[in-house]
Amino acid sequence: MSTTKLEKLKSADYKAPGGKLVRIRLKEDQGQIRSVRITGDFFLIPEESLGKLEKMLEDVPLREPELRLLVDRFFRGTGAQGLGVSSDDFVKAILSAKETV
Amino acid sequence: MNLAVEEAIPRVVGEGKSPSTVRFWHNSNTIVIGCFQSARLEVNMEACKETETEIVRRFTGGGAVYHDSGNLNYAISLRKGHPLVPGLNLQSVFEKLSEGSVQGLRKLGVKAEFQPVNDIQVDGKKVSGAAGSIRWNTIFHHGCILVGSDLSILGKVLNVPRAKLEDRHVASVQKRVTTVRDELGRDVSTREVQDAIVNGIESCYGVRVESGDLTKEGLGLAEELYQTKYSRLEWNLEP
Repeated sequence: MSTTKLEKLKSADYKAPGGKLVRIRLKEDQGQIRSVRITGDFFLIPEESLGKLEKMLEDVPLREPELRLLVDRFFRGTGAQGLGVSSDDFVKAILSAKETV
Repeated sequence: MNLAVEEAIPRVVGEGKSPSTVRFWHNSNTIVIGCFQSARLEVNMEACKETETEIVRRFTGGGAVYHDSGNLNYAISLRKGHPLVPGLNLQSVFEKLSEGSVQGLRKLGVKAEFQPVNDIQVDGKKVSGAAGSIRWNTIFHHGCILVGSDLSILGKVLNVPRAKLEDRHVASVQKRVTTVRDELGRDVSTREVQDAIVNGIESCYGVRVESGDLTKEGLGLAEELYQTKYSRLEWNLEP
């Protein structure tokens, strides 16, 4: 994906209550997530499901209600099990992303 | 190749081609990052070049660990449904399958305790970290024990994010980890720790650990995984 003039790069290092880190690098365009990369030292099984979450987040408004709905749907739909990270942590991590140069 | 073997064993255990397995191994200077981590964010590439430290990604989550010859790694692969771990909750797996190592370390005289989510600590300092997964019809748990590792290199090659250090109220990664050697105040070999862990596993779980070699199927799969995955930059360094 090419970066247009309207796209903003945002990032966050969010520490979940259990001490695990969720690192967000995303591209936002007019209030919507264009793409997002989620990395960190948390556990999530099945491991391949993280890519599915990243894909599901594309073109979703960068607002709490929509994000919460989507991340909850991801966990319910995939049956994924997080450890050191919860649905709430993913939402808070994404919302805490700040613009970077 | 070590990380390829690490994946091959739980796969063949799950297929019923290998019995439940405990594997012990160690690497020369290597950073092993978790499967969800970004190598660029977690690793100081320049320091790795200077210290000839390799970077490899494992198939399980969790954080980056530094391996050298003073580090003992263990991996437990149990077929799903094994009576030791009847549930499929990852936190319970870590807790249950760390017990053998905790017992082993205590037998050596180290005041080890399991610390959720996935650590073994001594007086608040980490001496071992674990990771694991439930897949391929297998419950898999692995950990690395700092026996006599060079903590000065560890401090250089890992970029520990500020948020992690602030959480633990310490100034550097070196200050929040310890080694078996430092805790015992004497030189200790990885073999001595391995023997103690085997002892801990046997007494803790009421099992008998027998020495054995990697099965033919396991070796073949490990070679394939090395060629197609673990020797490749796109697996080890991306994203």
